[in-house]
Amino acid sequence: MVFVAAYFFGYWPHPSILGEVTQPLVEDPTTDSVEAPPAVWAKGLVRKFGKTVAVDHVDLSIRPGEFYGLLGQNGAGKTTTIKTIVGLLRPNEGTVGVGEFDTWQSPTEVKARIGVLPEEFNLYERLTGAELLDFTAAMHGLSREEAARRRNELLDMLDLSEEGSKLIGDYSRGMRKKIALGAAIIHRPPVLFLDEPFEGVDAVSARLIRSLLQRAAQGGTTIIFSSHEMHLVEKLCTRIGIMVEGRMTIEETPEGLCRLMGVNNVEDAFIAAVGGKTPDDWSWYAG
Amino acid sequence: MVRRLAGLKARLTWNGVRGDVQRRFGLPIALILLTWLGVWLAGAYIETARSLQSQDPEALAEFMGWVALFTFFAWVALPVIIFPLDENLDPQQLALLPITPNHMITGLVVASFIAPSTVIPLLLIGANAAILTAGWWMVIPASLVFLGLLAVGSQLFSASISAILRTRRGRDVATFLVLGIAGGSFLLYRSVSQTVAAEGVTAAAASHPIMQWSLLLPPVAAQQAIVQAAAGDPIPALVALTAAVVGLLAMAAAWRKLLGWLLTTPEQRNRPAARARRSGMAFGPWGVVPTLARKELRFYVRDPRQRLVWTGTVIFVGLAIGGVVMNATGFFDFREREWAPLVAPVLVLFVGLPIALNLFGWERNAASYLFVLPSKPRQLLLGKNLAVAAALVVETTVLTIGLALFSSNWHWIWLVVPLTVAAIGCQLAVGNLVSVLAPLRLPREGTDVFAQSTEQGCLAIVSQTVSFFAIGLLLIPPASVTVLTVEFGQVINPWITAAFAVVWGLTLYLLSLLLAGRLLRRRMPEVLAWVQVS
Repeated sequence: MVFVAAYFFGYWPHPSILGEVTQPLVEDPTTDSVEAPPAVWAKGLVRKFGKTVAVDHVDLSIRPGEFYGLLGQNGAGKTTTIKTIVGLLRPNEGTVGVGEFDTWQSPTEVKARIGVLPEEFNLYERLTGAELLDFTAAMHGLSREEAARRRNELLDMLDLSEEGSKLIGDYSRGMRKKIALGAAIIHRPPVLFLDEPFEGVDAVSARLIRSLLQRAAQGGTTIIFSSHEMHLVEKLCTRIGIMVEGRMTIEETPEGLCRLMGVNNVEDAFIAAVGGKTPDDWSWYAG
Repeated sequence: MVRRLAGLKARLTWNGVRGDVQRRFGLPIALILLTWLGVWLAGAYIETARSLQSQDPEALAEFMGWVALFTFFAWVALPVIIFPLDENLDPQQLALLPITPNHMITGLVVASFIAPSTVIPLLLIGANAAILTAGWWMVIPASLVFLGLLAVGSQLFSASISAILRTRRGRDVATFLVLGIAGGSFLLYRSVSQTVAAEGVTAAAASHPIMQWSLLLPPVAAQQAIVQAAAGDPIPALVALTAAVVGLLAMAAAWRKLLGWLLTTPEQRNRPAARARRSGMAFGPWGVVPTLARKELRFYVRDPRQRLVWTGTVIFVGLAIGGVVMNATGFFDFREREWAPLVAPVLVLFVGLPIALNLFGWERNAASYLFVLPSKPRQLLLGKNLAVAAALVVETTVLTIGLALFSSNWHWIWLVVPLTVAAIGCQLAVGNLVSVLAPLRLPREGTDVFAQSTEQGCLAIVSQTVSFFAIGLLLIPPASVTVLTVEFGQVINPWITAAFAVVWGLTLYLLSLLLAGRLLRRRMPEVLAWVQVS
């Protein structure tokens, strides 16, 4: 009875969510990108943990359809920035959002428009892969039939058809990554956040994920991508932002970054940008 | 190496308290509660022992033997059947370090004492020494052996249950195991309390000697060593101490073997039902709220800890009813009361409290997955509430039928339905608010599925007790109206009672849903930070 009452109070799933989600914010990112609001943005974002400033006055404006690489050393503030934008971590200062929505004013609207592949797999280990995809689809308001169709397609596409009936707790790291990616894209979000999508993934799965992301980008999905795999960043990203100690120090295209640093590839440019060092005394180890 | 492990535990405990607000609050509460309990137990022990000392010294020895045995069993079994006492070092994290198994076992035992709960056995040992001052030279070695027995026995028992829960077949019998432990404890308690009530402590101790079996019961042997030393018999004292040490070593060897198995054997997961394997969640109710509820219900079955919450508490409620029914006279003699089945919804409030009051804690790290989905906070609460309500309805139905059969009274059975709505409504109303305002972090599942820090165990007990009283207070109006209807010649029309109970439960629930939903919307990152396991 409580739940019947709740249905009438409007707490039951709203079929319109699907319609909203599957509509990209901008149909063709190349045409009216000047007038369209940024797909992802941050203004004066600050996030502190005690006395440590993890993200220090970061401004971000990612255009619809961009494949944006967020780079930085470990602890530079990439994951914190992403967590703040997707609504998992409250900023101390500044505003963040997706499209016309502020994450902290309209969290549900933002979450309906994004897919997230987190760095750590906090998935439901006691659901099967198929169940996780169904669950996610239902939570995003997809119809039962559409969810089943997409689930089967995704399991095929991610080469998980056999494993779809196994519990996620029994999956290997690569399989977890793939099922997490499937769950992140099942509702065709216009914006996709990927935190280290290639970390710990074998070459076959990495290629599969890469081609899937390229297809998504071609379809107009905005992708925010954090990775330490520089050759992939160079291959995939249309723009790169480098964070150093919580600050956004450089934002450039891969070619522009190489030019700026006077090197031939993104890896060298990145190391030059963050001031990578090599320890000069390894005597204790070298013997 | 042992010192380093103890140092590691001390450092982890200190860092935990320093960096975790919940523990900063929990530690003083835990220390106060545990010290109060320890002082109370030690005081009662000394008082009884002193009175026995003056009346019958032989009965005193037997009494002390029984106390040692009960302390051992309580220490070993309570963490599993009520709440975990201490989060120890996770052997899984030590498995790759160059530590010999013997060092690891010894280090884990020593480290397990760096916890607030140690205050209870220390106070009891202090009381023991105060009673038998003449045996001072044996107090320290025997007490150390006794402490070792407590630590090793508790670890061995938890590891055994964890090992059982690791296999599919084991999980199927785990319920019966808990039933056995709970039933055995209950019968033991009944038997002891009846004997003491009938004969008095002195006669009961004298007529049920246990010291003669001390060589077979290591905790009793440790106590026997002190008793004999106090009596001026050093040889029997040393023999008893040797027996206790042998028992300790045997338990440690068994624990070591079991730990080796746990560290090298992966958990056998439950196989999802064939239909779920084929079709995911596509069949059955669909939509945000029902799908979330179905996910929860699957976890009630697939997560061994949640399954134990649902089955274990039912067993306790059953035993509690059994206890009340067996002893009851007058108003509470259920067999004579035609309203007996109406007690079911109230008793079911005990069931599932750890889940209803910590809806997001059970998500552990997966809360970050849930919170990034676009469901409204109220939908999340509603889905989780639907699952809890479904489980409670099943348990209320079983209990109602049981009570109706037992009392042969079916007259008021229909009134159970509105009362159940009121009871579940009140429980969920309090549960939603507590879940959002004070979620508890549950430990990561390691080799010990019951591991939890004392502070958080105490916070759980405090939170559950306070919430339980709050739920009880909220239930007073519908319960009073029901009593007026069924016990006082229908002063209030039964239909009015039923309508009032339903409206009361629903109103409280909807108000709480509204408020908790708003709070969750604002506090989602904070709730996430509370429940995530590092």
